Amino acid sequence: MQLASRRALLCLAAAALAAPAAAALAAPAQAADGPAAQLIERAAAEVIELVKNTTGAQREAGIRAVLTNYFDLPFMAQAALATHWNATTPEQRERFLKAVVSAEARAYAQRFGQYGGQTVVVSRVSTRPNGASVVDSKLNQSNGQPIAIQWEVRDSGRGLRITDVKIEGVSMVMTRRSDFNSFIQNNGGKVEPLISELEARSTR
Amino acid sequence: MVEAVRKVTAGARQSAMALVAAAALLGGCAVRDTGASEPWDPLEGANRFIFSINRAVDTIAIRPVAVLYRDWMPAPAQRGLHNLLENLGEPVTAINEVAQGDPSRAATTIARFLVNSTLGLAGLFDVASAIGLSKTKESAGNTVGYYAGVEPENGGFYMVLPLAGPSNARDAAGLMADYAVDPFRILTYALNVDWLLYSGPRWGATVLDTRTRTLYALDDLERNSVDYYAALRSAYTQQRAEIIRQKREKTNPRAELERRDNLALIR
Repeated sequence: MQLASRRALLCLAAAALAAPAAAALAAPAQAADGPAAQLIERAAAEVIELVKNTTGAQREAGIRAVLTNYFDLPFMAQAALATHWNATTPEQRERFLKAVVSAEARAYAQRFGQYGGQTVVVSRVSTRPNGASVVDSKLNQSNGQPIAIQWEVRDSGRGLRITDVKIEGVSMVMTRRSDFNSFIQNNGGKVEPLISELEARSTR
Repeated sequence: MVEAVRKVTAGARQSAMALVAAAALLGGCAVRDTGASEPWDPLEGANRFIFSINRAVDTIAIRPVAVLYRDWMPAPAQRGLHNLLENLGEPVTAINEVAQGDPSRAATTIARFLVNSTLGLAGLFDVASAIGLSKTKESAGNTVGYYAGVEPENGGFYMVLPLAGPSNARDAAGLMADYAVDPFRILTYALNVDWLLYSGPRWGATVLDTRTRTLYALDDLERNSVDYYAALRSAYTQQRAEIIRQKREKTNPRAELERRDNLALIR
């Protein structure tokens, strides 16, 4: 039921976006000031503030809030589990989602050490006929090369949400998906060991 | 009836696999042309074995040295060594750019090489970038991927090379081709330059430089994956594909997005 309504929503979104998509084809370099670009800029500003002003558990809690506010986590979790999603119970899905969010929040909190003057500059937004927008951006560092980051943004029904992050061509969702799939395959094709493993990691 | 159909498809799949195995040896092949599928890894058992040995060697010998180098070697010295190695690689890049049908880009690369080898003090300083000769890096793996008429995610079977790490049929073959055509290798071989004077130091410095540059990303990937082998396999495949895709779709960066519209990610 939930899935069906999401699909319907995506179809609607696709229809609604068909016209802008055609316009986008005519003008390939869109001005980067649409709602999708603003979403990325807001999220990036919030994360930079967190990295500047907080550490440890406080930062982790802040990052968790950013994840829940800006990312479509259920969508990403489902995408990361791929076909294994269908073999899970609602209770397992809830636990899986919780464990993944904890893992990601912790990973991001550790990932940024001290703030080193990084900025995120949005360069271009392309609207896709399937309802997703892809926001190209560069993470500029004070030392070293800028890093290319692409954000996939969709309308989740609760407003625009980020559904994937690609860093230098490596998609977070795709990598997790491959990672999880392999783990599941090596543990008897069951999702339960993966959920337990993720839960165990989040308490470590 | 159903059973018969299944047999036929299984047979077809088998012969397809045989074809694919043959094609993979030539560099690229069409096995499962959706980027959403897992990288093709028929040698997974052997690969995991080599991967675990690589990891042990890395933990004991390579990573600690790379960490020391990163933390204690002054940044300008690290940059200098990196520039030096990149400069030694420019001729191979130029050869590949010619092979990719872009001789004007190859000329720029040669100009870079000449400028950096002289004004840049044997490549220690990247003077060429400062005067507007931008840097590129090409390998034979890129060249094969550029011409292979398959999704760039598909580089033949995945393989883990001893010490060198993740690769696939396309990139491993490319590595050998690059080694074969490298003018420096040919020259030092012809002149009987001692291994300890050129090949050894260059190889060692390349390992150190590469490992130092991948410390952050690999540590992160290892810490945040449940199956490091699979995560690295996926990340490697995606990153190589991205590079080749950019090369192919120079005029059309949207092709990547269009491909992604067709992935199973979209419901």
